[in-house]
Order: sequence, then structure tokens, then C-alpha cells
Amino acid sequence: MIRKIIFFAGFLIFMASLCPADVWKAPDQEKAKERAKEEVPFVKEYKDEFLINRKVNLMEKGISIKDVKDIYFLLDNPIVKKREDHYEPVRFAHKRHAALTKDCSVCHHFRPKDENALETTRCSACHQDSFNPDHPERIGLKAAYHKQCMECHQEQGKGPTDCKGCHLENVPNHKELVKLPDKADPFQVTAECLRCHDVQATDMLTTAHWLWKGPSPYTTGHRKDIMHGKGTTALNNF
Amino acid sequence: MKLTRRTFFKFMGVAGVSATGLAPAAHAWESKAPPDPYGCLVDLTRCVGCRKCEEACSTVNKLPAPERPNCQCTIFEKKRRPDDKAFTVVNRYFTGRLDEFDKPLPTFAKVQCMHCQDPACVSACIVGALSKDETGAVHYDVNKCIGCRYCMVACPFEIPAYEYRDPITPRVRKCTFCYDRIKKDGGLPGCVTICPTEALTFGRRETVLTLAHKRLKENPGKYIQQVYGEKEVGGTSWLYISSVPFDQVNLPVLPETPSPKLSETLQHSLFSYLWSPIALFGVLGVFMAKSNKAKDNHPQHKGGA
Repeated sequence: MIRKIIFFAGFLIFMASLCPADVWKAPDQEKAKERAKEEVPFVKEYKDEFLINRKVNLMEKGISIKDVKDIYFLLDNPIVKKREDHYEPVRFAHKRHAALTKDCSVCHHFRPKDENALETTRCSACHQDSFNPDHPERIGLKAAYHKQCMECHQEQGKGPTDCKGCHLENVPNHKELVKLPDKADPFQVTAECLRCHDVQATDMLTTAHWLWKGPSPYTTGHRKDIMHGKGTTALNNF
Repeated sequence: MKLTRRTFFKFMGVAGVSATGLAPAAHAWESKAPPDPYGCLVDLTRCVGCRKCEEACSTVNKLPAPERPNCQCTIFEKKRRPDDKAFTVVNRYFTGRLDEFDKPLPTFAKVQCMHCQDPACVSACIVGALSKDETGAVHYDVNKCIGCRYCMVACPFEIPAYEYRDPITPRVRKCTFCYDRIKKDGGLPGCVTICPTEALTFGRRETVLTLAHKRLKENPGKYIQQVYGEKEVGGTSWLYISSVPFDQVNLPVLPETPSPKLSETLQHSLFSYLWSPIALFGVLGVFMAKSNKAKDNHPQHKGGA
């Protein structure tokens, strides 16, 4: 237990030193986040051109991968998270899927009835909240994503069909989970971490970070050593 | 007249038949289903077997976490039933459907209380602990329950479970249809809220029934042309549509007559104005008077035994 506590205390200090004041943010990621938040007016009426016609019509209008502006989308519309929110948003590689399928009609199956509307509207224009009593046949956005992705992945025999193939699980808000007294000392903090993260702590104790010895595949001259390290053969080079 | 066993039965039979003819005709059985209940459509072609409904159900109803909640594989090796710790479970069935690579395709089916329009459990309950409320939910009141478990025997779907492990305050446990949630405007049952593929559609029973028929009509090759629960035992709040026959996914073949119809008709015609007990005791009274009279006529037999 004491070994675990010492290790975790050191680990926390190390992590704290890594966090600079203002974090660099990826511009494309920020743009995708902004785009995901946008809410668009609901398309009440759609035009069903039947699948083969739809494909031909899209081809005739010359819509292809060159019209794809965004490389990826974050499927993170607030509608999806309205009732339940357990997973991180999926990053949908739009351009890659367009290149693989070479057929926009796979996902853009219908178009709005309004002729002035965009030929390929976004999913959330037609699929919004679930169980809309005015449009009972229209499935919600979350179901539309899941159905579209999973059914196609199953049919094609490629792409993930399980939850964690696409999603990362949400990290729970630790503000509510961590229960510490005011001005807690480091030992209390570490003990609080270990209250839930016992498995991670035990795992760490078997690694070179704790043992100071282990396999060293990247160290010249010691590639085949399995017990190399400060704990056995190496000098402390701090 | 010597009353033999044979003459006694003859007499009783005649008395019974004549009494039935005289008895006021019991009024015809009527369904007590609420006028505009909620319903939930389960589309088995959409269920992917993620078991999130089990997880949501246990959270909403404060039940223990489902068995191996993240397992979507070996958990399906055994067929599970709802019990006192899980109001709903998902089972996997291989019904012989194959994909293009000849790999067997699974069909997942969620089981829970069907919330019948005319529930057999409500009819069987002798203390009124079970009731059908206006939302369509079959509601259980633990304060009235005496633990006779007639509901468990009566249920055609074998749903109500009993807390046998609790010797002091055992309860009958079953899906509540999340009545406290659905009573609120826009409220949904826990399982419906979480379903990622909208395999569960919640709404007014009429609306979801129309939707079910629409799906059957638009995809005639995909679905079996039947909405399970539309007519079974007089209709249920939970409705199922599927691409495989319903008996293959453990949904029993049931008659269209509501379960309580026969039992209630029988009971109400036998006991209206208490005519049948009155007739019975009348007949017994006559029989007793006669046998006493016969004994009085032959006093020498008295005390002979």
C-alpha cells in the first residue's frame, strides 16, 4: 500500500508539471466541435427518389468526393446527448467514407422536398429528436447514426459494429466523485485516487516505472536484456 | 324414499340446471382497458443486442447492476428470464437466418412485462395490489400485496418474480413501465431512452401500432406479417415486430381472448346475487330435512350404531 501511495504521489506531481497554462488546441478539431453544435431547421417533407434513381441523379448532378469539404465530422450534436450521454462523440471520417463507397446515396438516401435546398443535406436536418408524434416514422438522430453505420458495416463485413469500436467511454466528472477534506495532504489525495483505481495501481507495480528494471528493447547493447534498469544493471544517470 | 348416492347426484344435477335457468343472466364481459394507453414497439430487426436497456432499467429502478453489463457475447449462451433483480433481459436466438457469407445471423429479443390491456395478474390478484392505470402500466402496490403469488401463476408470459431471498418483506417484482416517468409529459421508460438504434419506439399505443403496420406494409419481405401483442390475450402495451416467427424468439403462441374473460365470466355468472351458494345450501337443507325425517320414522335404528 505504501509503495502504491508513494508511486501515485510522484505520478501526480509529474502530471501537474506537464500541464501548461494555455493548452494548444487543434484548429480542425475546434472547427468540427463548432460544426457539431449547429442546429439546423427541421426538414418536414422529404423526396423519396428510390435508391437506384437517387444514385443516378446524384451522379448526373456531378456530386462526388470533390464536393466533400470536411475531412471529418464529430457526431456530437446536442440532440444526440439530450437524454443519455455515456460515450465520447464519434469522429466520422466523411471524406474517407466517400472515397471508399464512391456512392453518396448510401447515406444521403433522400433529399428535402424543397427544390432549393441542398442536394445532400446533413443527417440532423431530417433526423432530430426521437418519437416526434408528428412524424412517428422518422427515427431520431442517434438511432439514424447507429443504424446507418452499423447496418452498412455489417453488410460490408468491415468497420466496427460494437460500442467501443467507434466510441470512447465518457470520463465521469471527478468533481463529484472525489471526496477530500479541505487542504488535504498528498497522502490523502493518493489514497483517494486508490479508492477506485486500485487495478491501475497494482498494474503499475509490475512495470519498469516502479520496479526500475525490465525489458529494454530500445537501449543499445541491452536489447535482449530482460532485467535491465536502475534496479539491477544500470547506473542512475540523473 | 331411500336416498342413495345415485339419486342424490340426480337431484343435485336437476336442481343445478334449473337454478342456472332461473339465475339472472350475467352481464356480458367487458374489457377494462384504459381508453388511450401508452405502448412500446419492439422492432427485433433493429435490436443489436447491446444490452443497454438492461443497464438503464437497473439504474432507473434502483436494481443491482445487470450480470456482466458490458458482455455482448458469452452472456447470450444461456437463455435468461426477467427476475426480481432484473426487470428486462435480452436474449439471443439463432433461427437459421444466414448472411451472405453463410454465417448465422442472430436475432435479439428483449423480454419484460407486456403490460396486457386486460391483465390476467390484475384479475387474479385477490387484494387489488395490481391494477391497470390510465397510462397502460400494470401497477403493483406493495402495501396491499399479501404475497399469495396468484399473479405469477396467472401471467401468460410468466413475468412476475418474487423475492424469495427476503423472508420478512418480500415483494412481487416486474417491469413497472416506468409509470412515474411516463406520467410526466414527454417522459420515456428507461430502456427506451437509452436504446441506440430505436429498436424501441414509445408513444400512444394507437400511434405505435399504426407505425408497426406501416413498417410491415412497406417491407413485406423483411417482416413476418403480424404484430405480436396486437391481439394476443386481448392486446398488450408492448408490441413486437420481427423477421423470424415469434415462437422462435420465445414469445409464446397465445389465444386472442383476454385471459380474464373466461375466469371472470365463470365467476361472475356463478356468484351474481350469490345464487349458486344459496341454491347449494338450499339443496343441502332439503336433503338434511329429508334424512332427518327418515331417521324420525325409524326410531329403532337410533343408537343402534
